[in-house]
Amino acid sequence: MLRFEGTKIVLRHIGDGVIVSNLGPTTDELWHAGHRHRNFYTYGAMGLCSSIALGMALSIKEKVVSLDGDGSMLMNMGTIATIGREKPRNLVVVVWDNEEWGQTGHQPSHTAMGTDLEQVARACGIQKTATVSNEEDLDETVQSALSSDGPWFIVAKIQEAGYMPVAPIEPEVTLHRMRESFLGPAKAAGH
Amino acid sequence: MLRVDSTSFGRKDIIVNWAEILIQCLKETDTSLISFVPDISIDQATRRMEEDPFFHVVSATREEEAVGIAVGAYAVGRNSAVFMQSSGFGNTLNAIGSLCIPTRVPIPLFINLRGELGEFNIAQVALGRGTRPILDVLGLPHYTLTQVDGMERIVTGAIKLCHSSRQPVAICMNALLHGGKLA
Repeated sequence: MLRFEGTKIVLRHIGDGVIVSNLGPTTDELWHAGHRHRNFYTYGAMGLCSSIALGMALSIKEKVVSLDGDGSMLMNMGTIATIGREKPRNLVVVVWDNEEWGQTGHQPSHTAMGTDLEQVARACGIQKTATVSNEEDLDETVQSALSSDGPWFIVAKIQEAGYMPVAPIEPEVTLHRMRESFLGPAKAAGH
Repeated sequence: MLRVDSTSFGRKDIIVNWAEILIQCLKETDTSLISFVPDISIDQATRRMEEDPFFHVVSATREEEAVGIAVGAYAVGRNSAVFMQSSGFGNTLNAIGSLCIPTRVPIPLFINLRGELGEFNIAQVALGRGTRPILDVLGLPHYTLTQVDGMERIVTGAIKLCHSSRQPVAICMNALLHGGKLA
């Protein structure tokens, strides 16, 4: 399964929910798959994608999907424990697991050596978990996750493909667009 | 028989006042999501917030995670703040440098400064001393609270500046304010 195809599956089911994307190809591919106001693209802060999504999920009623990566999740595994502690019903974490640090030279990550992030999530008290490796299973799991209470933690095994062009987006515009979709233009601008 | 220790009694009185004022400032600025990593010197404030239904207090495993959670809340329209001690501030730097600053997310950072008067732990000194110079290098305003008098104006003003400038602002607190951590 390719991350881009998986991203299109998430977009197909997200409705008016929020998607937070991990830095690098995940952010670029989300933009190319379907730009929308409630996409929160990250450009740095490796490891914080699901922490940002957690803060959102605790603040709104809509569903929040974190599109994280195995290398990034490994950098901030503590946030899985915080998700397990807070148990937000509207949070869905999807980890695109290519078992490598793709952008730094395709070095194998810990998930290539036996680390099982789904089991980490279960050990942190997250009960709704899955590991999928094809589009059909991802589609079915994402549909379930977005139509039932969570938190959900889905590991999606992917193959790395060529990278798409960097998405032409500015971080502060991303923030403003997201806030405006919840607050309206005046409040989002701080007036 | 009730034993009254005048020193500790005085310290307790100070702690109650600063924590209550701080909470009032957060309410006045509608700052309701608080993420933090526990710290004994500011426990009086965070414990009260946990008991107050106005706040959702999130206990994070690490300070950069706490910043990420606060950013998420702000991104969907909820004002937030982070509490930590100065050693933990060291853990937040990439979150501030590659998320808050380029995305222009105004997160008030409440930092308990260790490594100052009365510090007993050598490991706390370098980052306690380095916190404000690091904030200066990052171009982030900071204010240090040393007494209860005038504190409300500083805290509320700092949070308002944070939001209007759309960048983090640090409110540092030291042992003169809250009594510090004793060996």
